[in-house]
Amino acid sequence: MTKPACEDTFLIKKRNLKNNYFSFTFGPYSRTAQCRPGRFVHIRLPSSDVYFRRAMSVAAADPDRQQIEIIFKVLGRGTELLSGYHKHARVDILGPLGNTFTFPRRNEKTIIIAGGVGFPPLLYFASEMAGKGYNPKNIEFFYGGRTAGEIVERARMRGLGVNFRPVTDDGSYGYRGLVSEAVEEYIQEHVGERMRLYGCGPEAMLSVIDEIGMRNNLPGQLSLEAPMPCGIGVCLGCVVPLRKGGHARVCRDGPVFDIGEVLL
Amino acid sequence: MSPALNVNIAGIEFTNPIMTASGCCGYGEELAGIFPLSKLGALVTKTITPEPRLGHAPPRTAETASGMLNAIGLANVGIDRFISEKIPFLQKQKTRVIVNIAGKTIREYVDIAARLNDYDRVDMIELNLSCPNVSQGGMEFGADPGMTEKTVREVKKVFSAPVIAKLTPNVTDITEIALAAEQGGADALSLINSVVGMTVDVDTWRPTLTFNRGGLTGPAIKPIALARVNAVYGKCKLPLIGIGGISDYRDVVEFLLCGATAVQVGTALFVEPDAPVKIVRGLRDYMKAKKISHVNEMVGKIRKY
Repeated sequence: MTKPACEDTFLIKKRNLKNNYFSFTFGPYSRTAQCRPGRFVHIRLPSSDVYFRRAMSVAAADPDRQQIEIIFKVLGRGTELLSGYHKHARVDILGPLGNTFTFPRRNEKTIIIAGGVGFPPLLYFASEMAGKGYNPKNIEFFYGGRTAGEIVERARMRGLGVNFRPVTDDGSYGYRGLVSEAVEEYIQEHVGERMRLYGCGPEAMLSVIDEIGMRNNLPGQLSLEAPMPCGIGVCLGCVVPLRKGGHARVCRDGPVFDIGEVLL
Repeated sequence: MSPALNVNIAGIEFTNPIMTASGCCGYGEELAGIFPLSKLGALVTKTITPEPRLGHAPPRTAETASGMLNAIGLANVGIDRFISEKIPFLQKQKTRVIVNIAGKTIREYVDIAARLNDYDRVDMIELNLSCPNVSQGGMEFGADPGMTEKTVREVKKVFSAPVIAKLTPNVTDITEIALAAEQGGADALSLINSVVGMTVDVDTWRPTLTFNRGGLTGPAIKPIALARVNAVYGKCKLPLIGIGGISDYRDVVEFLLCGATAVQVGTALFVEPDAPVKIVRGLRDYMKAKKISHVNEMVGKIRKY
């Protein structure tokens, strides 16, 4: 396997989605084949005052064309700088880093729970599942945001044929409430079925999903986010406490952890 | 003729003057997945303490302008696991190995040093007399000339290979501490450790780090480090290892000119894990262009006004 390394690639496609969301496609990226749902790339910013790279989950990877996509929202100085890269810009990417989601058993219903900016790795995951012949009708894709405008790339999720279940705090699109409430309701309506949960989103959401999973004895995985100075496991800055004691590095031991593993 | 990059510190030969800084490369395993460690002059391990340490609760790093603040709290596997799990890996690496150690008491420094003395592949030890992120030991040793001298002297009695004292900049006069370490029998000095700093979250009114304060590192502290290295170079005869915000070969040249014999690359590894490889290449090209045949020719040669 090709080792992770810093590699110069190019921003070949830049899409300005609504509400400060951007989709970047990079290529040619020689490590595209090493990308998997859950893994991330660590991107150098076009500035020296913001010193660290920014970790971005891979949202799509096309090994044939050697292209990868990330989707992010401008939330701070780092993502603001990132969004300033012009099309054709040379971009230094370190990766791909981290571990991956593991695919469900064929007889399990897949419950995907995306919260806000956490949806890109799950979009990639659902799309890989479809490619592996999983029946998309067995995939429930919950995607929560504050308002309708925060639910981006809807057509792509619909295009996968999954059961797309948007959720908004204000009810402006889909289920009204929190995504965790919608998931809880779904699970209670389907007690006794084999299900596996996959979540990525704000920590408060992950904490509730973790609790729901444990209480209902449902297996699953959660992808965590943390500021990562190094991304390769050496700085020990992104650690999270484990339920069994000790710390795990989100960048190296994660970002994907089993439900019940991390003390959220 | 390709310029010579090899340096000698206290009788130990290094293929080049570029080392990793303690706390920025773990025990070398992750970095070895990025580039062959033989490219390094030396690998300096994370600080080893008598007992395993989990370190402080997160968040324990914060980004700052051109640098970072950290209060990891010397998270490490402890000396037992270091010996059983990490030394076997380090023994296979074709680079010099410097083990950084710390204790809460002089006795603890001595105990760890004595145990490491059994391993030939531990080419040197570096005494962390300067960590700002622990409540006992660390900086309180390095801020006190008497404690510095005594710690070095006691460690020297049990460890036969060279001993480096790593100094803190968080003192009024670093040359005083440097001379104390020299008096205690140190073979070399590395400077500087991180600069005490603080960052604040304006939403919560809390410090960003759970330890409240932390150590500032990265390019932001390079000028501070250069001034300290140059101050100590003028007063103390020991070889100096410069540390502080080094991220490319120009930074290395600056440290050499200010009096460092070698340097350590720290925070830059987080941004560019292969930075040492690029630095060595850049340094060689620079020397070729400047017709400098040996890296030593630059040490202390700053032309001051």
